Amino acid sequence: MSILLLSVGFGLITASVIAIAGVGLSLQFGVTNFVNFAYGDFMTLGMYLTLVLGTAFGLSVYAALPLVVVLTGLAGVLMNRLALDSFVRRGANPIILLITTIGVSLIIQSGLLAIWGAQFQKFSLGPSQPLHLGPFIFTPRQLTVLGLAVVAMLAIHVLLRYTRLGKAMRAMSDRRTLARVVGINTTWLTDWTWFISTAMAGLAGVVLAINTASFTPSTGFGFLLVIFAAVIVGGIGKPYGAMLGALIIGVITSVAASYMDSAYKDAIAFGFLILVLLVRPQGIFASRGRG
Amino acid sequence: MAALSYYVSVLAIFACIYSIITLGLNVQWGFAGILNFGVYAFVAIGAYTYALLTLGKPIPGASQTYILGLHLPFLVGLLAAGAVGGAVAWALGAVALRRLRSDYLAITTIAFSQILWLIAGNETWLANGWDGVSGIPQPFNGLLKLSFNDYNFFFLALSLVLLALVVWLAQVMLRTPFGRILRGVREDEVVVESFGRNVSSLKLRAFVIGAVLASVGGAMLAAYVGAFNPSAFLAGETFFVWAALLIGGSGNNWGAILGAVLVPVVFTEGTRFLPNIPSNPQLIEAFRYVIIGLLLILTLKFRSQGILPERPDRFERGAKRGARPSSTPIPSDDAGEPPHA
Repeated sequence: MSILLLSVGFGLITASVIAIAGVGLSLQFGVTNFVNFAYGDFMTLGMYLTLVLGTAFGLSVYAALPLVVVLTGLAGVLMNRLALDSFVRRGANPIILLITTIGVSLIIQSGLLAIWGAQFQKFSLGPSQPLHLGPFIFTPRQLTVLGLAVVAMLAIHVLLRYTRLGKAMRAMSDRRTLARVVGINTTWLTDWTWFISTAMAGLAGVVLAINTASFTPSTGFGFLLVIFAAVIVGGIGKPYGAMLGALIIGVITSVAASYMDSAYKDAIAFGFLILVLLVRPQGIFASRGRG
Repeated sequence: MAALSYYVSVLAIFACIYSIITLGLNVQWGFAGILNFGVYAFVAIGAYTYALLTLGKPIPGASQTYILGLHLPFLVGLLAAGAVGGAVAWALGAVALRRLRSDYLAITTIAFSQILWLIAGNETWLANGWDGVSGIPQPFNGLLKLSFNDYNFFFLALSLVLLALVVWLAQVMLRTPFGRILRGVREDEVVVESFGRNVSSLKLRAFVIGAVLASVGGAMLAAYVGAFNPSAFLAGETFFVWAALLIGGSGNNWGAILGAVLVPVVFTEGTRFLPNIPSNPQLIEAFRYVIIGLLLILTLKFRSQGILPERPDRFERGAKRGARPSSTPIPSDDAGEPPHA
């Protein structure tokens, strides 16, 4: 029983990371309607940017965080402007855009590899004493991760419900043509969407590195399928679904890992992903009509 | 001089093997528009099948553990590799191809590939885990007993024969009604369906044929290198094949071969002798991948059909002089509306 509760606790932390990443990915898919395979690499970019800011300006991980989020967000806008925008204007098939993001993924991942090599990198975060909270055991670091996830989710909620930008995003992912017809400025909208999406990736990357302690240039790409799993379970293009999907994938993989070989932790997520795609590709929370 | 001709023959062998794999992807994507991101899963299936069938019994207490070890001849191993790859593709495709949109199929195939990778790495009893299998016998050298150099030319001849066979098959496929209907599926599934053809069965056949070719390529890779391990089928390898096909020209078999020669062989080997930087041994290799990523994007942007574009059918060439048919070799599944309306 206590092992089960403990692993649920760990699952919540994993879910926090997946939720931040998943909401960002889902938001972008909803608005632009193609899968970004470079998303995981923006997470990695966030990790290495934190490292650079730490060594160049002596910023601590938490002090560097806001700056990293803004920088990865801008990197996403840059990718859109340089690589994707012309295809969108040409009316290219979404699959061509998807393959283009694979090119971007290769460039980011190998660029980081060229500079830092494949060895493991670490943030300097002092020791972290575990705290007992009811049946759960968390380190303060894990609680920070959890707290950041909650703040990020609230921010996305406020964005989607109460701002003009968020409403435009929802309109665009609901009915693309109608949104265009009523005069939503698509350039403004896609720029902001990419900024927010990849800024979330940057945040998720730093949070992932805080949680797992070490990373390499391929860490983010390796995490991408886990994010896909959460996003698709929740129904792709639906940010609120992604939050729930993250919770499910996070808890399932952590619980499964404590009862079986933990090497297969990711395989559980991938297997679940394939299952959901085959049985209910619209996501398990899809409501009637357009959710 | 001998060293140079040896070096060229090594490159030529890799070019043949990568060409076979890329032609397999061309059947799937270039002909039928199937977005398979699990190419290397099938290369690995072929390589492992071949290795486990042709290796001798594992010696107890030796450095590697694996199942089977039947010591079968080369041809049996090669055919079995193709058969197993085809059977796995059939099972995966039968469930996945019928239901999934392209991007979901891509995610499913990549997830399938990752699961396979985890199993190959973690189950040491199966095929020696992360260290992989080695000492795979060289085909026919037990009989021929050739010198190191001569054997290489023999293997090159073997690869060329196999490649010629595959090219012939792929070219025939292009011209037959089956090939034409596949291109129809690629351009518009609904139209093909309305002519009473079973689209998912057509796609399944193309998926299986492509997977058989990838597996045969994998078997040749294992036979030539003599070893195979999970690090040989990371997700990046699949994207390499994709880059090769798209840069060379998808839908055109000669384009696939050109891409396979350019991307993995010329690019990888051409930069091999650049001086290494001691502090960062991966620098050159990593830089190579950056260039390939850039090339991929630039190709899509400025020459979306690749270096050797798909040739229009004869009747189209006759009918519209100079006018090319719709240029993107891609199934259009975007109606400007969100998925699952």
